[in-house]
Amino acid sequence: MAAIFSSPTCVEVIEAIQDHLPALYFAFSRGRTELLAEELGREWDFLTPGEKRSVRWMIQEAEENNPGLFGPRRQNLRRLLLQGIGYHHAGLSPLLKDLVERLYESRLVYVLFCTETFAVGVNFPAASTVFDACRKWDGQEFRPLLNREFFQMAGRAGRRGYDPVGRVFVRIDERFPEQTGFYREDEVEPVRGRLTISPNTVLSLLHWKTDAEIRRLLEKNLSVYQSNKESRQLRQEVQRLEEKAAELARCFCSDRGQPCCELYRVKLRKELNQLKKSKHRNRADSKLRLQEIQILLQKGRKKCRYKVCLDAAKKARRLEERIHLLHKRLKQLEKHSRDYVREFENVWSLLEKLGYVQGRELLPRGKFALYVHVQEILVTELVFSGIILESPPAEATAILAGVDYQPGRDEQVTPPPFSLDRVEELRRFLLQSGVPEYFCVWSPLPAALAAAWYEGASFEQLLGMTNLQEGDIFSILRREIDLLRQIERAAGEDRALARLARELRRRLDRDEVAVVGV
Amino acid sequence: MVQKKETGARGKRRPRRRRSKIVLPAAPLKLDRFQEEAIAALLDGYTVLVAAPTGTGKTLIAEKLLEHILAAGKGAVYTSPIKALSNQKYRDFGRLFGPERVGLITGDLSINEKAPLLVMTTEIFRNWCFANPGELEHTSHVIFDEMHYLDDPERGTAWEESIIFAPPHMKILGLSATVPNIQEISSWMAEVRGEVVKVIEERCRAVPLEISWIAPGGDVLDEEEAREEIAERQEIRRWRRHRWNDMMAAGQEELDY
Repeated sequence: MAAIFSSPTCVEVIEAIQDHLPALYFAFSRGRTELLAEELGREWDFLTPGEKRSVRWMIQEAEENNPGLFGPRRQNLRRLLLQGIGYHHAGLSPLLKDLVERLYESRLVYVLFCTETFAVGVNFPAASTVFDACRKWDGQEFRPLLNREFFQMAGRAGRRGYDPVGRVFVRIDERFPEQTGFYREDEVEPVRGRLTISPNTVLSLLHWKTDAEIRRLLEKNLSVYQSNKESRQLRQEVQRLEEKAAELARCFCSDRGQPCCELYRVKLRKELNQLKKSKHRNRADSKLRLQEIQILLQKGRKKCRYKVCLDAAKKARRLEERIHLLHKRLKQLEKHSRDYVREFENVWSLLEKLGYVQGRELLPRGKFALYVHVQEILVTELVFSGIILESPPAEATAILAGVDYQPGRDEQVTPPPFSLDRVEELRRFLLQSGVPEYFCVWSPLPAALAAAWYEGASFEQLLGMTNLQEGDIFSILRREIDLLRQIERAAGEDRALARLARELRRRLDRDEVAVVGV
Repeated sequence: MVQKKETGARGKRRPRRRRSKIVLPAAPLKLDRFQEEAIAALLDGYTVLVAAPTGTGKTLIAEKLLEHILAAGKGAVYTSPIKALSNQKYRDFGRLFGPERVGLITGDLSINEKAPLLVMTTEIFRNWCFANPGELEHTSHVIFDEMHYLDDPERGTAWEESIIFAPPHMKILGLSATVPNIQEISSWMAEVRGEVVKVIEERCRAVPLEISWIAPGGDVLDEEEAREEIAERQEIRRWRRHRWNDMMAAGQEELDY
């Protein structure tokens, strides 16, 4: 009875599809992959003693190379792997992800709970794919998967030369039955242009490209091409329909609109009926109009083949409706198609106002920002305000770790032992100077982690300071290493800055963080 | 098939297993028609877009092209939308063509950057197109893997800037999942780059997909059955909500007395 009011559990799902393993079981949050793996692991064990030996051996080998591979948080994953069950998501350290992938490739993982990223490009086919749900959080809202997203994942089912068909299973969710997915491959969404104009785009164009080349990007990018094409097609359609309407109009004679014309009389009769039914029929003006119509109708009808006119009028009305819709869509296109020339000019004048360029000439700030590819304005100002060079190195590391970082819900890190007020002050100043919020994204959250790592803390100590997962800490530090490379290149003749960037990078790029799995 | 629900040492369920292990046959040596067409067009010197479902062997086309380029003593760039994929391709190509001929450049990492075959993220390639196009003088091709990422709000810009500003002597091999407007993208590329772009499309999956739905209790349903099941479920929910409301109303009346 319980089954009637509950969703199929993953234990039930695997029971049902056990003849089609290995399976990739897609879920849309990291926590959910772990939860499901635990749930399945309580009841199922997929490995023979021989296979268990192989897994144990591969784990041992990986641990010898990287002691503490599973750390305190991932002991459950080790236990699950020995049962042929795994999970894989961005929160895992790259080394652990790599181990899970290798076990999977060696056919020692029978059910792998994973997130969407497992389906991008990397070639890991399975006998079947399972969808825990068909809705995902896209950073702003829960929404159903697109056809394209569904098939990117579903398409991992079916191993060439091995499975006659790839089996895809969608779980019916009791809580959101209406959101159970039904997808068609022939309804995959078309690709749309998504160009955006960043400060770096503007600086790069001004510095390296000719006017003609700049125009090429702004006036011929995919988005402009697509909306131009659509409006061209719509305008042609409008023209065609208008010609048709004009042709229809030729049916009508000069008596149209006169009381003797049947077209007009039909309209009058309709109005008459409405007036009679109306609750205002006893009002003075209604009575007047009633009489007026009756007098008009008493005049005789012209003898003609009015049916032709009636048909034509009906067709003309339909055409007009269609033309009206097309005009509406054209207006929409005009409103939504982005004016890249204006966007470019807006960012350009912002950069001019902030002293990055003078006309097409790049000033020192502009020449610096030319080599920065993330939060260009904020990073440049952090350097030019002196904050980076004047802060103790550990604090500079802490500040740069927060560039472009957008903390998720409930993310916590112990606060750093120093103040970050100068950065907040700088950001406030930039916002007041008209720099849009999305050009100075920064968060104090990762500060303490980066500072501690700079000062030689162990990865395990970092884990003790936060509820962030290993993979998150890893990517915060790798991203900072990327940024430090950019700053070093941007520093150019500024020896002190280049030296500092190199030194910070060298101190960050060590131990677990230096292992990037190539 | 062996016995059902065999119990493991720790009392856990074990799957049914096939008696004999089937060995995966080696990948078919004969190329598919669309693969051959694509390779021929590339060797004729065209920019080529290949749209095919996952698992049909798009990578093979890239590998054949790279073989030719390396044999001719030229260079090539391979770009992918995400770093993890770049790392994997770097390993694969190293195994295939010898590690000394392959380099890897991502924002935070660079290995053997003078190698003739460079794996990089699209962002890095875009930067080269702006800042050091001279470095690409001897590079005859750029391969864009997963090109439908053009549509990605965050990554799309780097793709577009790369396609528009890749040096004119370079030919492009774009690999994409099947999208309905691949012809539109190719005519856009042809216009913006001023060259002929060939489109090779394969709509057939190497292994066809069969989609089913799983109901509570583990029944496997086809589409029609699934829709019925869902309708029933919604009906039950409506009914329960209704009854709940009735009960609340009744409770209210009692209070009113």
